[in-house]
Amino acid sequence: MLHYALLLLVILVAVYLARCRYGARYLDGKTGRWALLLPLCTAAFAGVIPRSGTTGYLLLVLMPVLVAASGLVMVRRPRLAAKAVPFTLLLLGLAGLVLARKYQDMAEVGYSMGPLDSHWYGLTPVSNWAVLSHLIVPEALLFLAAGMWLLFRVQAPGAGLTAAAARRLWRSRGKGVLPGQELLLIVVAVMVALLSGGFTDWAGPVLATTAANLALAGALVMLMLRSRLWAATMAAAGLVVLGFYGFLLAEFWPTVPGGTYGLVSLNDTRTVFIGGFLQGAVLMAAGLWLAPRVMGQHLGLREAELAARAGALEARAGVLTERVQTLTQTRTEVVDTAAAELRRIERDLHDGAQARLVALGMSLRAAERLFGTSPDAAMALVSEAKEASSKALTELRDLVRGIYPPVLADRGLADAIRALAMDCPLPAVTDVRLPGEVEMPVASAVYFSVAEALTNAAKHTHAKTVHVEVDYRDGMLRAQVADDGAGGADPDRGTGLHGIERRLAAFDGILAVSSPPGGPTIIAIEVPCALSSGKISSC
Amino acid sequence: MRVVIGEDLFLLREGLVRLLKAYEFDVVAAVGTAPELLDALVEHRPDVGIVDVRLPPTNTDDGLRVAIAARAQIPGLPILVLSQYVEQLYARELLADQAGAVGYLLKDRVFDDDTFTGAIRAVAAGGTVLDPEVVKKLLGKRTKTARLSPRELQVMALMAEGRSNAAIAQRLVITEKAISKHAAGIFAKLGLAPSDDDNRRVLAVLAYLDG
Repeated sequence: MLHYALLLLVILVAVYLARCRYGARYLDGKTGRWALLLPLCTAAFAGVIPRSGTTGYLLLVLMPVLVAASGLVMVRRPRLAAKAVPFTLLLLGLAGLVLARKYQDMAEVGYSMGPLDSHWYGLTPVSNWAVLSHLIVPEALLFLAAGMWLLFRVQAPGAGLTAAAARRLWRSRGKGVLPGQELLLIVVAVMVALLSGGFTDWAGPVLATTAANLALAGALVMLMLRSRLWAATMAAAGLVVLGFYGFLLAEFWPTVPGGTYGLVSLNDTRTVFIGGFLQGAVLMAAGLWLAPRVMGQHLGLREAELAARAGALEARAGVLTERVQTLTQTRTEVVDTAAAELRRIERDLHDGAQARLVALGMSLRAAERLFGTSPDAAMALVSEAKEASSKALTELRDLVRGIYPPVLADRGLADAIRALAMDCPLPAVTDVRLPGEVEMPVASAVYFSVAEALTNAAKHTHAKTVHVEVDYRDGMLRAQVADDGAGGADPDRGTGLHGIERRLAAFDGILAVSSPPGGPTIIAIEVPCALSSGKISSC
Repeated sequence: MRVVIGEDLFLLREGLVRLLKAYEFDVVAAVGTAPELLDALVEHRPDVGIVDVRLPPTNTDDGLRVAIAARAQIPGLPILVLSQYVEQLYARELLADQAGAVGYLLKDRVFDDDTFTGAIRAVAAGGTVLDPEVVKKLLGKRTKTARLSPRELQVMALMAEGRSNAAIAQRLVITEKAISKHAAGIFAKLGLAPSDDDNRRVLAVLAYLDG
């Protein structure tokens, strides 16, 4: 009766507020009017709470206080009250589910309802354990749905998070799994929650089991968000196991007391058939329907992965084939160049230093014979020999410079390039920044590239100055020779640059020439290489 | 005149010792590696050190480094550097301390006894002697030729080779007085303040190297 009185009181207050001066304040606000529901929802709990035991009576006394407090909150802080309403509704829905479970347990043990046990759940008067419990479940679901709807409607705390999770679920649909398959996991969770017993007592076990079930639900939601496919896999496995468990319960009833399975208490042949076999069959069927699909998706994913890997391998094979072609070509060029170079050196030595040394020997031999008879002629021959040796030395020096410049061997690339700039007939500014030493073959190639570029600048372009920049970044050695001359250089004209290009190609290096008419001419080279941690060279 | 020789090739070292002894130089030490050379230069403080650029242990420019290190310890220690090749870079490094008494010659110049001994004496006397190869490269720079007259360039080149005014006059077949006039013109164009003639010659060569 107290329940009716409270309900009436709340409705009266609501009607009064709707008409009084506060009314405008609530009805105008977009969310404020939902605050009116708060005392109503709080009052609804009065019907739910048990009327036996000390806790029950204490709660009964507390109820009017809670309703009054919620009324006060509604009046003073309508916005806060509005935001609290969805949570109250959700709590009411959860309480309904728990109640339904409890009533089924009561009916199962054949407990008859006393006057103190009669309850109200929302609009449903509970006067019979078994029958009305089935009305409570839909009503509880209605409360839950309303709670969720209001959660978004009034933008209560948590609405953003829930919306984000829902959006993520929605967006990822179709990615590796059929839409909604993993939602079957919810069925599994509800089944597990219904199967976990201990609802006969309101104290510890109920709260503990509820907490455990909520934790399970949370974990499953997380799983659904992280991997839809694995959630679906788990749902399939869970459905099959739970269905099989239903068969077992029905088969062995009444040898083993069935208890409650799903929404039905197994206490006679009819309920055993409906509850055990039918529910079990439905669950099992759902599980068996899902299992091959999930397996197919697993295999599909695997296949897609394999296909992607095969594609990557194919692409890599293409790259490698191209690389082999490049290497074959550059190797041939390098071998040819090296052979030509050796031929040139042989010829230079043969025609130059070697010939001069032969002449020198002959002059000395002749001088030796002449010393006795005509010393003057002998002296002339010796002077000749001296000159021949001097020329031979000069030629050898030039030859050595062409093979491997001594300053490069002595000082490394940075100083060698500075030395090149100094020897250049044009005033040359160098900016060489190398944080280490370049390997000798690469250093040699870069040195001769810069030398060729400087020679070209001095010879052809009527430049006044030339800038040489060398630096090293991200595994790439860059050198640039820029002059302020007339430009218009044809990159295909000189054979020198082609030789340089071939030489650089052996190290995957490239050479670019930019020389628009009117200048400036810029010759840039890039060679990928590693630096050894030598001395730090900088300008 | 006391001389220290640093040369790693046995034949060349012995040849140098023989040559210098024939010209009555006093060879106080003849060594084959860079560390030995530094010790000998610091210990004997010779009138001239004759140094090969490439010496063990690394066989790169160890000799040059020893020459610079020795002059850092004993400022103005006369050093004549010999090499199979000449680099402006090295010439600049040798002259950088502006103390003069530096020579840098190709090994070929040893063939010409008079030029070689003349260079040794010039360096011992505090002069600067650069190889004609280096001088040729210096004069190849276009902007530099713009500032000096052709005659001044000739004088400058011979000055850088370490020749005295008298020698230059004889070479160019003009009077010594005319050479002095050209030298003054060169110093003025290079912006060198009046000081003792030898030092200005060093600075003039250095200014040329620096561009």
